[in-house]
Amino acid sequence: MTELLTQFALLLVGGALVNNILLTRFVGLCPFFGVSGSMKASVGMAAAVVFVMMLASTATWIFWNWLLVPLGVGNFLYIPVFILVIASLVQFVELYLKKTTPALHRSLGIYLPLITTNCAVLATATESVRPGFFKLNIEYTFTFPETIVYTLGVALGFGFALISFAALRERLDVAPVPAFMKGAPISFITAGLLSFGYVGLAGLFGL
Amino acid sequence: MNEWIGVFKRGLSLDNPLVVLMIGLCPTLAVSTKLDGTFFLALSVLFVLTTSSVLISLLRSAIPELVRIPVFIVVIASFVTIVDLSLQAYLPDIYRFLGVWIPLIVVNCIILGRAEAFAYHNPPRLALADGLGMGLGFAGAILLLAAVRELIGSGQIVFLETTLIELPQWYRAPGVVMLFPGAFIVFGFIIAAISAINRRLYSRTTHPVPACTITEGGDVR
Repeated sequence: MTELLTQFALLLVGGALVNNILLTRFVGLCPFFGVSGSMKASVGMAAAVVFVMMLASTATWIFWNWLLVPLGVGNFLYIPVFILVIASLVQFVELYLKKTTPALHRSLGIYLPLITTNCAVLATATESVRPGFFKLNIEYTFTFPETIVYTLGVALGFGFALISFAALRERLDVAPVPAFMKGAPISFITAGLLSFGYVGLAGLFGL
Repeated sequence: MNEWIGVFKRGLSLDNPLVVLMIGLCPTLAVSTKLDGTFFLALSVLFVLTTSSVLISLLRSAIPELVRIPVFIVVIASFVTIVDLSLQAYLPDIYRFLGVWIPLIVVNCIILGRAEAFAYHNPPRLALADGLGMGLGFAGAILLLAAVRELIGSGQIVFLETTLIELPQWYRAPGVVMLFPGAFIVFGFIIAAISAINRRLYSRTTHPVPACTITEGGDVR
């Protein structure tokens, strides 16, 4: 039992901090620069990402293990199948929220379509079923609980990095910056400095 | 023909997807540590962008407005699968280096964005020009970043085991340029330089904050 809990804790911390998806792996940068101009939008986006990522990983885990692997077509059909599953799932969720809980739809709804084309969701879903993806030789796939915990970690790490960057950018707007660095260039350099902090965590707990 | 060249040139200059519109950033920053790996990523994006633009343009009267985004995604995903399997078969080392970035070409906003904004409304002839122009514009910018990072960060540029440029012995390479923070910082300086040049040449201020989003109506911008 303790062993299991330790492993889950490691997956959570590993996904959230040590391998932070935004700042140490560059997955999902579009919303990172796109919505971080406003704090409110960042919080909404972070919540929507946690929600969609959990759903997407659950769905793709089921499709991978119950459909693609038994049929033996996983290796060449996973890209179209995963992206279609994620896209249609997001669409359904949006319709469902619109009908049942309009208040939640108003706060999360506008971010949902954006997330379909967010690479972080597809990357996490792909990784959960093919965790050896970064090192292609490992033949090990996550069990279902492991997938859920890992995805939760990645999504929380995404939200944390996004919100902290939004807070930095609010201060950046009033800072005296040389004219040629204004706007996007200084944002990139700030992101670079923030990224130093995360890179410093590499090797924590042997992750 | 003039129209064709006009469309082709846009992606290379004022509408460059990477340094002006700033879309498709993720693979750019992540893989640009090595020139040869970056070269094959750029080639893959160019291939997928051009072929999917032309195919979507050919099918444009057959694709219903309502389900166009899923159709685009399926078309793009098929071409990405071709690239994925070809690289895996013929260039396994490069494939291992690029890793998850090959399947992630599917969600690269340059490709979906061009399908939505251009290929869906224009004949195949012009879609080809747009795909080639945007693809080459992307390739140029990402290769520039990779060359700068590899040269500064490791003191030499190696292309498929051939050393192209080597800095003298006394040069101590700052390894941080090869790390993740280095990518952000080098890219920040590159776009600052390019926007300064653009302001001189075209008296045009660039750089709204990058956006790669689908708006509520389903438009990619």
